[in-house]
Amino acid sequence: MRGKDVTLDGVSITYPNGFTAVHPTDLTVHAGEFFSILGPSGCGKTTILRAVSGFVEPTGGRILIGGDDQQGKTPNARPTALIFQNLALFPLMSVRDNVAFGLEARGISKRDRLAKAEELLALVALGDQGDKKPTELSGGQRQRVAIARALAVEPAVLLLDEPLSALDLKLRQHMRAELRAIQQKTGVTFIYITHDQGEALTMSDRIAVMNAGRIEQVGTGDEIYSSPTTAFAASFVGEVNQFPGRVSGLDGDMALIDTALGRMRGRNPRDLKPGDDAILFVRPENLGFETGAGLANQLDARLERRDLEGAFINLQMRAGQAGLPVAMHLTNTGAVPTIAPDATTRIGFTCDSALVLPDGPVARTGREEMAAQ
Amino acid sequence: MTAQRLLNLYTGAFLLFMFGPLILMIITSVNDASPPSVTNWQGLTGKWYSFFWTDETRLRADPVLRSLDRDRFVGCFGNSLRVAAAVVPLSLLLGLAGAVFLTRWRSRANSLLWWVLLSPMLAPGIVLGLSALVFWGRLGINAGLFTIIMAQVTFVAGYPMLILMARLQRQPVELEEAALDLGATPLRVFTRITLPFLLPALASAAVISFLASMENYNTTMFAKGGSCTFATEIGAMGRNPNGHPPVINAVGTVIILLTVSATLAHTFLLRKEARD
Repeated sequence: MRGKDVTLDGVSITYPNGFTAVHPTDLTVHAGEFFSILGPSGCGKTTILRAVSGFVEPTGGRILIGGDDQQGKTPNARPTALIFQNLALFPLMSVRDNVAFGLEARGISKRDRLAKAEELLALVALGDQGDKKPTELSGGQRQRVAIARALAVEPAVLLLDEPLSALDLKLRQHMRAELRAIQQKTGVTFIYITHDQGEALTMSDRIAVMNAGRIEQVGTGDEIYSSPTTAFAASFVGEVNQFPGRVSGLDGDMALIDTALGRMRGRNPRDLKPGDDAILFVRPENLGFETGAGLANQLDARLERRDLEGAFINLQMRAGQAGLPVAMHLTNTGAVPTIAPDATTRIGFTCDSALVLPDGPVARTGREEMAAQ
Repeated sequence: MTAQRLLNLYTGAFLLFMFGPLILMIITSVNDASPPSVTNWQGLTGKWYSFFWTDETRLRADPVLRSLDRDRFVGCFGNSLRVAAAVVPLSLLLGLAGAVFLTRWRSRANSLLWWVLLSPMLAPGIVLGLSALVFWGRLGINAGLFTIIMAQVTFVAGYPMLILMARLQRQPVELEEAALDLGATPLRVFTRITLPFLLPALASAAVISFLASMENYNTTMFAKGGSCTFATEIGAMGRNPNGHPPVINAVGTVIILLTVSATLAHTFLLRKEARD
């Protein structure tokens, strides 16, 4: 098996009802790469997947797989295999026949396709389950049958549509490692759709963060997490503190930003100019108590809640007159000072750990998600 | 308490009016009296049943049976089977096509199409029979078994369509998409995925279509021309002003037994379908 690269060349997708699910998008997924598209539900990531697999024809632009234009090719003529969110295992067929189905469709002899099915079932550690019906398997086993079935047709590109979302947490974490191992063993290009940043960060070579039909940023997990380039990417991946304001001056690589909590300094990767509306982002783990070290950015915050996570202690605080929420994650070394509830403490962060990015839409917080549902 | 008693009374009356005539019919089918009667009990007999296989001489000896045309009656029954043999597969094909179209091809015309395809089930049977008669007559085809088949198919096809639609709506579209994605042609997707899934529903649709075709009277009556079917022949015998021969009651009893067993088979298939 050999992966192929996938190129989206100005692909846009508008549904007949006029809704534009994907705005013109350029994207290249390298051959043999584990590539994730990460975004909230409804951001257009599944539509991109269905366009690559051939179920949706792009309204504009071209999709190339290994350099071949896929326009007009039906799903059964593309070198892709799709793993559906609900897996779509054939309920009336045995596990073995499920895996062999793609080969059957290609006219491979019964003996050869069953041998190949056995080989793949062994690959996903289901060698002894071939005679069972899919309904007799556990969630994780069904998952692996779907992967074996897709790999049987030796696709150049495997497309996965949130296949782990139905599993419980433990199994999900286990399957992440398995998926990654299978991808590396086979060398097939994986395009993985998810709204779960943990999945994207742990498995992927590269990640595209997507929102409202547009790709916001493409990069490695480290790049996306540590150096987001848009307000959405910064707020969607990982927890982050946000201080909106206006750029008031520049100092080398740094931007000065006037926020409701006073003037702050942070990195300025997008070359903002004074007067631009901006948001300063800083991760909770980059906040600390001001102990005379002279942190560049300082604020007074009142403790609202202390959550012991185990390895971490999460402090939920409020700062300034407006009571802006500020989260702080401290490594639980046993030496974290206890602060009284409602006590005001001086906290701060370095300017290197803060990012000033152009004002723009930010991801909804968990509370907003709940309110919307 | 009174409400409960009223409900019981109503239920009792309902069952009585529904099954009473059937019970009377079964009783008269074994009473040696013609025209059929329950009050005038003449003793137990099986001759209304054995009419169909007794030899000619004994038939001619019986004052009631000798006036009946056995060959015509059997011939009409054969016609019914012939009609059903054409109506059932045609209806299954048309119903299947309609069901696949309405559940898999999402278009704005779907709801309109749904009504168009099902309207023959709601239209008066006379209208269907008459229109088939006129239409095929214009094309130079005389009324007969062919026009009966055409007239029946127009409304019988609705039953398989409804049954198959209900089943197809329960199958996730992703199964078909997955098969397509794995390289299967649309034809293979249909034969390997969709059709096996539909089999139990197809079986029950066939049973119901067969029963609908066999028992149909009004549409057939207008489309039959000079030919006859089982249902129209019984109708003709039943209109005898001197009272009909109890042979009809015997036939009716057999039909009830067949219908009950077919219904039981259908229920069994539905249960099996629900389990799968």
